[in-house]
Formats: sequence, C-alpha cells, structure tokens
Amino acid sequence: MAKARPGGAGGADGLGRTVITVGRFDEPSQSTPVVEGYRQTALRTPAEPLIKRPFTLSELTGPDRPERRLALLGTDLAGHGAQRALGQLIDVRLRVLDEDGAPLPGALVEMWQANAAGRYIHPNDDDHAPVDPHFYGAARMTTDATGCLSIRTIKPGAYPVPGSGRWWRPPHIHFSLWGRVWMSRLVTQMFFPGEPLNGQDRILHAVPDADARERLICRPRSPVDGPEDTLVFDHDIVVRGRRATPAA
Amino acid sequence: MSAQPVMPSRLPAAEMTVGPFFPPRYSDAGANDLTRLEGEGARGEPIDIEGRVVQLDGAPTHNLIVEIWQADAAGIYAHPNDPRHLEADPNFFGWGRAATDADGRYAFRTIRPGQTRERDGTVRAPHINVLVLFSGLMRQLHTVVYFPDDGGAKDFDPLYRAVPGPRRAGVVAVAEAPGRYRFDIRLRGEGETPFFSLDDGGVR
Repeated sequence: MAKARPGGAGGADGLGRTVITVGRFDEPSQSTPVVEGYRQTALRTPAEPLIKRPFTLSELTGPDRPERRLALLGTDLAGHGAQRALGQLIDVRLRVLDEDGAPLPGALVEMWQANAAGRYIHPNDDDHAPVDPHFYGAARMTTDATGCLSIRTIKPGAYPVPGSGRWWRPPHIHFSLWGRVWMSRLVTQMFFPGEPLNGQDRILHAVPDADARERLICRPRSPVDGPEDTLVFDHDIVVRGRRATPAA
Repeated sequence: MSAQPVMPSRLPAAEMTVGPFFPPRYSDAGANDLTRLEGEGARGEPIDIEGRVVQLDGAPTHNLIVEIWQADAAGIYAHPNDPRHLEADPNFFGWGRAATDADGRYAFRTIRPGQTRERDGTVRAPHINVLVLFSGLMRQLHTVVYFPDDGGAKDFDPLYRAVPGPRRAGVVAVAEAPGRYRFDIRLRGEGETPFFSLDDGGVR
C-alpha cells in the first residue's frame, strides 16, 4: 500500500490521490482493559492477546456521513419553559480533533447521559431514581466546519452502580464519535472538574496515565462567559494518536 | 479495592448502568439493513448474517452494539482511500448497527461483499469488519467475518493468515442456508472469538 505521511492525517499517494492515514495506537494513554471492582470487565474482556494485523483498506476507510443511516437529533436537551428539564443548565462546547490536532468538520457525534437525579432513560437502567419527563438525555449531531459543536443540556447527576460495593459514578457524559476511518472510531466519557467522586471512579482511574486522565475532564469557563442561566464547559476529544482521548 | 461484590437484585439489567449504550428508542430503525440507502436498492446478492454474543459464563449480552463496515458487491469501499471509490455503488452505504436482544442475538441484512483490492494490488477475501461496543469493554473490540464458501480466497488473506491456525474457525461464518449465515461471538473464555489490535501490525 502506498505510504502517506507517517502519523499524518492525510497525504497523497504517487498519483496525487488523497490518502488518509492514522498513527500508532498509543497504549500508555489508554485504559486498563480489566478493571478491579468493575466486575463486567472480567467477564467481557478477551483473555487472549489481541491479534496483530496489517492495516489494509478495511481499517483505513470508514463510513461517509453515518447520519445518512442514523437520524440526527437536536442539540438542545434541556428544553424551555414548562418543558424545561430539572437541573443545572450547562453548555458543552465540544471540539473534535484528529491526532495532528486538526479539527474534524462534519464528524458525527452521539452523546447520552443520566438526568439530574442520575437516571438514564434506558431499558438497562432500573428505578433507583426518578425519570424526568422533560429529559431524554441523548443527542446525535455533527461538528461544524471548525470541528465544533455546542450542546445545551443539564448537568448529569451521580449514581451508584448496583452491586458494586458502593461505587458511585461521578457526573459524566458518554460520547460516541466517528473519525475519518474505521480505526478512529471512539467511544469515551467526559467528566466534570472538581467532582469529589472523580477520585474514586473506577473508569476514570482505569487510565493509569495522569495526563491522559486529564484529557477526559472538561474545562469550565468563567461564569461571565456564557448565558446568564448557564455554565459553559469546553472539551476537546482527540480520536486517535499520542494525544488521544482514552476510550471509556 | 472493594469488598466481595454483592449480587444485584435485578440481574442482568441493573448492573449495566455503569454505561448503557445510546438509548435505543431513538435509534436505529433499519440501521441493520444495508441493502438499501434512501430507498434505492444496492447492487449484489442480499445476505443475512445473524448471531449470538455471549460473555465468559456463556450468558447472553443484552443491548450490546454490533457495528459492521464492509465493501460493496464489487469489493469497493465508499471512501477516498479506496482508489476505486468513484466506482462504488452509490446505493450501498457499507455501515450498519444492530443491538443484541435479551438472548444476545443480533441480525444484519446486507450485500455479499466482493474481494477488496489494496493499492499494491493485494487482494483480500470477501469479509465484513465488525466492531463490538458494550459496558464492561473499556475499549472497542474489532473482529472480522469471513465466508465459508469463498472458494478458498481467505487462505491468501493477510488478516486471516494473521489468526493462529486453531482459532481461524472463530472468524468464519457458518452457512445456515443459501444466503444465510450465522456468526456467533464469544467475548471471553473457551472458544473466544479472535479480536484484532487497533494498531498497525506492519507488513503482511
């Protein structure tokens, strides 16, 4: 296969055709696959080592605009007036980047989160906390020409993981993203700064590298920098490479 | 780290609140049918691929997400990295998503992929790339489905050959009927499905 710029997100082959490449998968920035105290990881993580394979077109291509198969959903999860969800209004200003730090325009992003009481609208969630009739907690959207998007939502609540020996998940938001190729598909979580439960979270601390862990935590803007009733958080997600946001 | 885990009272659903996937209500009607895009039928032979995904103890996985990515009937990926992409079937999207039911079963309807051709001329056997997402998986898992009736093409396929011999059956679908295949996935334990590294293992 023609080689493009090593580690680069793009280049050209000998015939001048665009070639999108990906760099090394950065093991130190990634989470430990089997996590103590997170029982399901030991039931579901393969025991055999992952098989080394050459990259071919299968790994270095990927779906073009997956939103042609998955309906986009609005970026306002919080609602307004009588339809407003309970909880603290937040704006999440997300920026999606490739491994070189170049923004990914038009990237499809899915997000989902618990409501302010820590409850998901999902058949897998039980009745430990109330459903908010004005909050569904999921969105599907694409980044703009600068790789950015903005989500108006409410801050998710913490919740206990049933049967886990009092493990509480801190407030967090799940993201699922498509980069340019199949090897840059990423599912991860975003945490909030300064949360007391962050220090004990088994998923956040499954990432052994402190710098990589920091990349999972969003940054607060000054309260004066945003709408009067809303706190704004910035968050970058890098889909692959040395500065990759760890999968979670 | 913690005391002996206490079994939750409502297995298996409640334990999964660690990280359920995207809520199914909005999702994905028809996302597991790759045979048409915006109403237009794709070229090629429609096939069904169904299977069951289990974990270590053989228990079914519920609401596990399976995504597939594949070339069209002529073996072309609809992506600029494929030198032939301008000839790709405009009515074949190549990507789909399914969620497992309470018994761990998923199903796709798709098109039998053709042999893909690399830039250096290497030909790959017809195959479907598979991604698995689930709570308890800290990282996504990648595997590949080959076809039992490919005329021996997979014996020359670099990824197939990368799988240790005794495990190769784990990446080959079982023919159930003409155009109908079963591909079961075992995440861990006896008969574990071969999964592939996210890194480039280098030259073939």
